[in-house]
This record gives sequence, structure tokens and C-alpha cells, in this order.
Amino acid sequence: MIKSVFSRIHDDIEKWIMVISYGAMASIIFVEVIRRFFFNQQAAWSTTIPIYLFLWLTWMGTSYNTKQRSHLRFSEVRDRLSQKGQFLTLILDAVLWYIFGIIVIYFSIEQVQISYDNFAIVQGTDDVMQWWFYLATPLAWSLLLYRVTRNLMEDIQYYKQGKPLIQGKMLDD
Amino acid sequence: MDSLLISLISLGVTVFFILGVPIFLVIGFWVVGVSLVIDFTLANIGVTLYEGLNFYGLLALPLFILTGDLINAAGIAKRLVDFAYALLGWLRGGLGMASLGSCGLFAAISGSNSATTATIGSIMHPAMKESGYDTRFAAATIAAGGTVGIIIPPSIIFIVYGFMLNLPIGDLFIGGLIPGALMVFTMMLICYLLSRRNKWGTIAPFSPKKIATTGTKAWLGFLAIGIVIWGIYSGAFSPTEAAGVTTGFCLLAGVFVTRELSLKSLPKIMMRSGQITGMLAPLIAISIVMQQVLSQLGAKEYITEVVTSLGGFYPVLFACMIIVLLAGTVLESLPNTIILAPILAPIAASIGVDPIHFAVIFLVGDAIGFITPPYGLNLYVASGITNIPYLKLLYYTMPYLAALLITWVVVALVPDLSLILLGGIGK
Repeated sequence: MIKSVFSRIHDDIEKWIMVISYGAMASIIFVEVIRRFFFNQQAAWSTTIPIYLFLWLTWMGTSYNTKQRSHLRFSEVRDRLSQKGQFLTLILDAVLWYIFGIIVIYFSIEQVQISYDNFAIVQGTDDVMQWWFYLATPLAWSLLLYRVTRNLMEDIQYYKQGKPLIQGKMLDD
Repeated sequence: MDSLLISLISLGVTVFFILGVPIFLVIGFWVVGVSLVIDFTLANIGVTLYEGLNFYGLLALPLFILTGDLINAAGIAKRLVDFAYALLGWLRGGLGMASLGSCGLFAAISGSNSATTATIGSIMHPAMKESGYDTRFAAATIAAGGTVGIIIPPSIIFIVYGFMLNLPIGDLFIGGLIPGALMVFTMMLICYLLSRRNKWGTIAPFSPKKIATTGTKAWLGFLAIGIVIWGIYSGAFSPTEAAGVTTGFCLLAGVFVTRELSLKSLPKIMMRSGQITGMLAPLIAISIVMQQVLSQLGAKEYITEVVTSLGGFYPVLFACMIIVLLAGTVLESLPNTIILAPILAPIAASIGVDPIHFAVIFLVGDAIGFITPPYGLNLYVASGITNIPYLKLLYYTMPYLAALLITWVVVALVPDLSLILLGGIGK
């Protein structure tokens, strides 16, 4: 039971966060426009919270696309390389993700820290802290690096077994 | 020394691009490398990956992407396609032209080129194949048709352009209406001529009754188009609000009116849209960082000096257009806009081109970049949904590409096409 819950979190954490933040963002904007249009009322936070939810959606989406190997790229040359050539380019991808990810995590934690130290509050609210949302970047990028590691392990295994390497496709379906 | 290192870094990331490294990383490593060379703090990356996306107007991006998936799942896209076919199916190449017309109608609700190609393509490509069209030509038709997705309002890239250059997004949308329609008609003409020459497709009898019936069934689609255009044109909604209203409208219409959309399927639809957002939004953020680094390098001053030294209105304007087109062959449209628009728009303004007109010129060029090799996103999307190899598809896209290039020049030479609905030149 516990194993199954953990396994679902492991497989789908990005999906859940993306759907929740996407749904909340779209609902807030839709409801608040209707309220403004028909009742001349609008919550002050309705233009700020959705932006922060967009941050979560964006960076969790980035991690999800890394997991699915579906980031936009020029694939014509790589698809024509030998298995060894493809394997090397996949290692190159992983190394580049690690370097860039570490830079992003390091400097975005700095942003979270500044926001935390300053007790920065989301505009239009009394007690919603900005750092809760800023946390999206370092957390999602940590998850992204974990996905990179998993993919790399899979690539090494496939390469050793002589199986065709997974190149990913643009969208899930 | 610095310029040598920067050239080496640029060469290195070009090799990354050719080797199929994700475009986000290609741009990211250029930014990191050049920042280190010119001693520009890397902390800027951490700040801009957040601040670059901290703009309410940008929320229209995920919302219009979601709208595209919702009108598809709600069956509204299919109804618009049926209407377009009833309207054009009696002509030779009618189904192909209907695909292009459907792209135009879909583009008027959604705001993305690739979503337009993906949605209309998945409906129309099998139908065109069955109707006797060359399957490669059918795929090329939807790849090319998708280019109007960002020109006919609403448009994600117009929003980003307006955000970068502080221009009214509503005016930009209106500016794109006629040029977008012109693109559709030009491509329809190509489709008609090629279909007639090759005797592709079957001809359906002309039936006003069918046009009326399918038109009535597509009322939800027309209402959605009406909400977007009226809402933004009248100032009732901002583009983001219009996107939110259309998203909500399409969801409610799909659940309660067409009943083709179940709430159970909603998370899956949102994941699909979320995946696209997760590809495009990071590219926006990293491109903004690249734009800042380019600005530190003095790229704007350099390009301005080179382009303006050509002298005269037309040489400068065409030089700007060529830069957009060449960059569009390798860059995705969002980075292309974010990186180049702040450099080229002031040059165009200095020779007296209206900012809204130049935005339309810039973005039509950007849209054409979706079907230009080596990196044409719509070609990838069309290739993905039809299983036709990229290069074969590319060959059959050429007539459309030529037609779009001619339309582009016409849009550039006739400012009124972009400005007449806004009150004409010097409004």
C-alpha cells in the first residue's frame, strides 16, 4: 500500500502539481472576470496569485518534459547517428542539464532566501508569503535533475543491452 | 580576446543545436558562457527565470493553449471543420482549402501555431488522405495552415511582442486580422491550383442547405470567436481575461452543450496543455536572459549601425525582414521575438514604420519560420501526427512557403492591411 502510494507520487508528482496549479490559475481568472463584468467585484489577489501558480506550472512542466524527453529540439541529425553516437549525445544532454540545473538551483534558492528574510507578502493578500511560490523554481529543478539521472540510468542500461535508445517525442499522445 | 571567446561559445552551442540538445539548454549555455566572459553575474539567471514570467499578460499563453485543447475535446473544432468543408468542398481541392480555412477559424479562438496544426491536422489529414490527396501534400497543407495560428488573433506571440515592446496588445491583435486572412487565402489559392493540376480530392455538390446546417451546428465556435474579438476590441477584457473567459466558455460548452467533454477527461486535457506550456514558458524566460546579455554586449547598437548604414527606407526594412527570416530558420518563434524584436523594432521606427505595422511584419516573418528548415516546429508537429518523414514533408511545403513569402512582402509594402481596422496610417 505504502509502496504503491510512493510509486504514484514518484511517477506522477509533476502531473498533479501541474493540474492543480493550472486548474486553480484558470478558475481564478475565469471566476474573477465574470465577477468583475457582472457584479463589479474583484479580489485584489486575483491578478497576483495566478502569476505565481503559472510559475509552478512552468517549472513542473519543464521537469515533466525532461522526464518525457519532450523538450523542443532539432532532431534530424541525432536520429541518424549510430547507437553509440546517440548514446554520447544523451550523455551530453545529461551533463548540460546538471550544470545548468545546479546554477539555477543555487541562484533561485538565493531568491527564496531573500524573499523569506524580508517577509515578502503576495500583493493583494495579508498573509500569503511570496517564498512559497518562489520555491517552485529550486524544487522543480531538483526534481528535474532527478529525472535526468533516472533517464541517464535507463540510457546506460539500454546501451549496454544493445537496445534502441529512447529519443522521446513531442507530446504524450 | 572576448570577441574570440564569444565566437567560440556561439560556435559550440551551434554544435549542440545540430546534435539535438534541447533548445532551452542551447540558449542557456550561450547565456552562461557569455556571462562568464563578460563578467555578467549568473545570479541574473536565477532572478530572470522568475521575474521574466512575472507578468499578468503572459498568463494568456497557458490559457489560450488550454482553449485550443478544449475546443478540440468539446467537438467545437470538428464542427468548424465541417462548416469549412461545406463552404469549400464543391471546389477542386476543397477539402485542402477547408483545412486551411479551419486553421483560420481555429486560430481565431486559440493562439498557437503548433496547436492549430496539431488539432486541425489530426482531424483533416486522414480525411484528405481518404479523399485522394497526396498524403505528403496533405501533411504540408496542415503544417503551412498552422502558421496563421499566431497571426489571426488571439495570438500568444503578439502578447509576448506587446509585453517586450510595451505596445497595446488589443491593437496588435486587430492589426493581425487582415494579414492573417490574406495568408489563409493565398494558401488556399496554392492548394486550389495544385489540386486542380494533380486532380487531387473529390468534388462534393454545392449545397446551401449543408452550409446552413453545419454553420448552425458550429455556432459555439463562432460565439467563442465573437467573445475573443469583441472582448478585446471593445476593451471589455484584457487579452488574459479574454483567454480566461474563452477557456471557461469552451469548458462549459463542451460539458453542457455538446456533451462531448467529461469532467473526468479534464486532467488529461490539462496535462497535454501543461506539457506544451512547460516547453514554451521556460524558453520565454531563458530568451529574456539572452536578450539582457545581448544588450550588455552592445548587440543592439552594432546591429542598428550595420542595418541603418544601408540607408533608405526599403533597404533597411528588407534587411530587418531578412534578419527575422534567417533567425526564424533556426530559432523557435518565442526566442526569436524576445531576442530580436527589441533590437529591430526601434530601427524600423527610426525609418518611420508604424510600430503596430512593424509588429505584424515581424510576426508574419516569425510565423513563416514555423515551416522553414532546418528548424520548423510545424513541420515536426505535422510529421509527428502523420508519420511522414520531415524532409519529404518539407519538399511539399515549398509552394506554400513561396506563397507566404510573397504575402509577407505584400503585408510589408501595404501598411493599410495591418492598420486600416485601427483607423489607418498615422491613426
